Amino acid sequence: MTVTATTGSQQAVTQDPPELDVKDASRRPHPWRWIGAGVVLVLLAMLVNMLITNENFEWDVVFAWLTAESIMKGLGVTLLLTVIAMVIGIVLGVLLAVCRLSANPLLSSTANAYIWFFRGTPTLVQLIFFYNLSALMPEISLGIPFGPEFVVFETNTLITPMLAAILGLGLNEGAYMAEIVRGGLLSVDHGQREAGAAIGMTDRRIMRRIVLPQAMRFIVPPTGNQVISMVKATALVSVIALADLLYTVQAIYNRTFETIPMLIVACVWYLIITSILYVVQSRIENHYSRGDRHQRTSFWDFLRIRPKGRPTPPAVTEGVTA
Amino acid sequence: MTSATTLDRSAGAAGSGPVLDARGVHKSFGHLEVLQGIDLQIAKGETVVILGPSGSGKSTFLRCINLLETLDAGRIQVGGRDVGYEVRKGRLHELAPAELARRRADIGMVFQHFNLFPHLNVLQNIIEGPVGVRGQNRAEAIRTAQSLLERVGLSGREKSYPRQLSGGQQQRVAIARALAMQPQLMLFDEPTSALDPELVGEVLATMRDLANEGLTMAVVTHEISFAREAADRVVFMDKGVIVEQGPPAQVLDNPQHERTKAFLARFL
Ligand SMILES: Nc1ncnc2c1ncn2[C@@H]1O[C@H](COP(=O)(O)OP(=O)(O)OP(=O)(O)O)[C@@H](O)[C@H]1O
Ligand SMILES: [Mg+2]
Repeated sequence: MTVTATTGSQQAVTQDPPELDVKDASRRPHPWRWIGAGVVLVLLAMLVNMLITNENFEWDVVFAWLTAESIMKGLGVTLLLTVIAMVIGIVLGVLLAVCRLSANPLLSSTANAYIWFFRGTPTLVQLIFFYNLSALMPEISLGIPFGPEFVVFETNTLITPMLAAILGLGLNEGAYMAEIVRGGLLSVDHGQREAGAAIGMTDRRIMRRIVLPQAMRFIVPPTGNQVISMVKATALVSVIALADLLYTVQAIYNRTFETIPMLIVACVWYLIITSILYVVQSRIENHYSRGDRHQRTSFWDFLRIRPKGRPTPPAVTEGVTA
Repeated sequence: MTSATTLDRSAGAAGSGPVLDARGVHKSFGHLEVLQGIDLQIAKGETVVILGPSGSGKSTFLRCINLLETLDAGRIQVGGRDVGYEVRKGRLHELAPAELARRRADIGMVFQHFNLFPHLNVLQNIIEGPVGVRGQNRAEAIRTAQSLLERVGLSGREKSYPRQLSGGQQQRVAIARALAMQPQLMLFDEPTSALDPELVGEVLATMRDLANEGLTMAVVTHEISFAREAADRVVFMDKGVIVEQGPPAQVLDNPQHERTKAFLARFL
């Protein structure tokens, strides 16, 4: 029945499966996982119960306001601000990172100083600072340095709350993005630049075609975090009277005294935005990390339940040698 | 073979002089003088193998030729032109970066660790230079790339990514990428020393073909057999100087200098 290779040189032609097979092995029990899952379930039930039975949440108020026009406007400002501040942050971050890594000591130390200042002071303070710029410089003019001026702006009319918010958040974000981009650029092997140079590419082209695309894998995940942080950081602009989501909500509960339900309205929207961003981020990350994905454990695998007939998923192996 | 169309670009540019003309090349890293006056000429169609112990400055010399390292003193001309400089009013002036890049494109280089672009597939790796740098027509560049792949024995692998290829295959793609620029001179810096022993042969075979087809090549390698079979001339370098040079039979079988003898003794 079973053909075994008895002589060293002779290979067995066909082999029956072994009598004992690991696929039929009994799994080791994990009682603590079950107990842990039970505890979590009980706590979850208590939380849901409280959310439903505690009338102070005033869910009717929450739903009444959730899609009110003023809330939608505030949401629009929050989203717009997030997008503009992140775009400024990313563009500035790439420029600063390239400057910081440049061989030119003037460029690299200027970028260093910028990053040092904007990371070293609170965002809130920077926001208030830009909002009050007119106290420092009543007029802003375009012209030849120390020479004649062509256009003069009244700072107070030029710096609207929106502009102050964009400057405050965007310039600050640039400093953080610079560090993220720099880390990504440094992760690309130096041989890549040399190979590019050897086929006659200019430094700029090497950066754009060779280095940046490879650095993206290391830049995208932390950038996703930054976007999510930025959504919430925009709430800071309520201190400079810009009508974002939080400011709108505050304005309403200052009138109606429905503080908790209005804050819940804001939280619901922040959660919706960040959830969408989270999904987008995962998609982009998967795109840039093809070939080295990690197998995730499903909840059922964690509890060690394997439904009959469902084969264990094969390990993902990409980039096989041909 | 398609060699005639892809290799004969050097004919006009080089004129009758040597393709490589290096004179008195000096290079230091800090206090360490790595190159102490290298003189080397390579004629059109010649294959020169550079041998020498580790740290003797072989890589540094190759990298000086296409200006991946700047030289401290001396002069290197390729095809009758300085690579990183131009002559104006009897003096050398540093070239603008864009012009330097253009001149570098005429010199192919193959690296020890291949340095293929991992985010581009084989075809994109090869046409990046012709299309992106030289502005060649894309369809034409693809045709050239395909014939080059055929030449290095990798037809049909256009869509593969570098990490899907074996080391030997990657190095042959890297050779095709360099050839796609139709260089006047090809530099090889230990192209087989990062390869598993069983893969060395395929890369050396490709290089031997190129040598036979009349490509002008400077090859740093520890493969003595390649030097014996493919080289027109063997140069032995030690401690930043050329100790001796000549036809392979002379340098390899009948070395004149003690240092050459000591070095070659290790390969017996
Ligand atoms: N960028 C650098 N900075 C400082 N020292 C360097 C640099 N590049 C090379 N060197 C030194 O210069 C010397 C010659 O190096 P090179 O790489 O040219 O030798 P090699 O002959 O190619 O050796 P190998 O056979 O090991 O590749 C070595 O001592 C090395 O440490
Ligand atoms: Mg070397």
